[in-house]
Amino acid sequence: MKNVIVYAEHRNGQTGKVTFEMATEARKLAGALGGQAHAVVLGAGAPALASTLATYPLDVVHVAEDSEVDAFLLDPVVDYLAAAATAVGPALLLIPNTLSGRDVAGRLVARLNAGIGADVTDFKVEGGRVECVSPKMGGALITVCAIEPADYGIATIRPNAFSAAPGGAEANVRSLEKPPGKHYATAIEQDVEEGTGELALEEAPVVVAGGRGLGGPEPFETLLKPLARALGGAVGASRAAADAGWVPYSLQIGQTGKTVTPNLYVAVGISGAIQHKVGMRSAGTIVSINKDATAAIGDFSDLLVVGDAFQIVPELTKLIEAAKA
Amino acid sequence: MKIVVTVKLVPDPNAQKRIDPATKRLVRSGVETVLNPYDEYALEAALQLKERAGDGTTVTVFSMGPEALRETLRKALAMGADEAVFLSDPALEGSDVWTTAYAMAKALEKSGFDLLVVGGLTDDGSTGAVPGALAEHLRLPCVTNARKAEIADGKLRVERETDGGYQVVSGPLPALLTTALTFGEPRYASLKGIMGAKKKTITTLTLADLGLDRAVGTEGSKIKLESFAPPPPREKGRVVEASDGASGARTIFDFLREKKLV
Repeated sequence: MKNVIVYAEHRNGQTGKVTFEMATEARKLAGALGGQAHAVVLGAGAPALASTLATYPLDVVHVAEDSEVDAFLLDPVVDYLAAAATAVGPALLLIPNTLSGRDVAGRLVARLNAGIGADVTDFKVEGGRVECVSPKMGGALITVCAIEPADYGIATIRPNAFSAAPGGAEANVRSLEKPPGKHYATAIEQDVEEGTGELALEEAPVVVAGGRGLGGPEPFETLLKPLARALGGAVGASRAAADAGWVPYSLQIGQTGKTVTPNLYVAVGISGAIQHKVGMRSAGTIVSINKDATAAIGDFSDLLVVGDAFQIVPELTKLIEAAKA
Repeated sequence: MKIVVTVKLVPDPNAQKRIDPATKRLVRSGVETVLNPYDEYALEAALQLKERAGDGTTVTVFSMGPEALRETLRKALAMGADEAVFLSDPALEGSDVWTTAYAMAKALEKSGFDLLVVGGLTDDGSTGAVPGALAEHLRLPCVTNARKAEIADGKLRVERETDGGYQVVSGPLPALLTTALTFGEPRYASLKGIMGAKKKTITTLTLADLGLDRAVGTEGSKIKLESFAPPPPREKGRVVEASDGASGARTIFDFLREKKLV
């Protein structure tokens, strides 16, 4: 491992913040390893994203706007990334820790005979050896795994763990040759985006989450959404709220839901059961609003305000909006 | 049609977890071993596909782990799997993603299958990378996060969850399928199932049966666990009683200001 290659996952050129976080970290890692920082962008919309990525401190951005990437399930992506890895030479590959990122990473582990550090939140490089820091078991343990010096290593990267900063020399944008002799069979017949154009929960810098204390689905719309919008964040929920059918399971945070690591977590009417705690305890700052002064969430909140969320949240939203104006 | 489901045997996720400082592995003693919850969804999916396919379709459970855990596979047999294959060898200890997937692939190649169903994640030390690595070692299409699946005319058609929504994909068999938790709640074992499971076969394999040409276990692993520790505990913060909505909001607002979060 000498170079660093970032897999820039995107949809029609739209990508998550984690892509730019990886691009920024790639330069630091490449510096420590004594190699170059590369990125790979594939599929429809790739050239647009590549030109944005070129403003980050990368040496080369490899682009392939190949329609097969969006027509077949992951196989073309894996082939392109393996081809880029071969062309670049010994490298550490940075892949976002998303659903499809994990699939790609697993495939490349076997394809490139690589070790993998998963859900990485920090790196240390010493003598060509890359140490990956990862929270495990919902943040109950922090592990440090070393990827043994080898040709290739892989790290899946937790969103919001690294900072993103454009700048540095203009990267060289190059087109990536299609790997020859490939035939793909697993076809994508339909690809439906369900998101409302809002921020993905795992990527949001602020999460406003609601629980049983909200009493029904309406407060998620009338209370939490405006607050999340004012704070530039996304709405989440506890398991109790998802189980009650007030919000879709895609919003559930916790052991059987999503793990989020925003800079700010606002818990509204959430008691703070362990099942919820493991999904959010790595947040930067935790503020909770609860009727119960003894709610477990108080034990790991930086601030617990005891009171009526139905009165506090609209006032808070007003204050924040006024401050922004 | 032969469906194989891989299950991992893990310490009860609801039990307190502890890691042995000497071996740096999970302490399993005193904690009940269960099927990895995500794998129960995979087994449920396999059993549903079998029921829909009708006669001539079988479900085999495959697992890898220490010999002492072998009988835990009866839980999967009680849910309705027909037989089990258990790969157990002390030399597998300390395997990373690459070696785990490699050893599993060699064993699965031996037993053969039309469809391989794998849980999406594991509850202990999860990387989420094993299904992909396994598909690659087996040179199989890898269809992940399924919430619905059907097999017709030798093709697999799947509705799968994506980061932003869902996709419908179709492709050839054999294939590897992983399941999302939305596939459907795993069934409970019936009393009849539990009794029947006692008579079902668990075949044990060791590495000698596989003819591996690459090292596995700690020796073959490309990752070394250096250290682990609990994160610094979060200090209990301030608790403030709000007399009304405005004062509660002001308390939070001032706090966020102080932290430079607004």
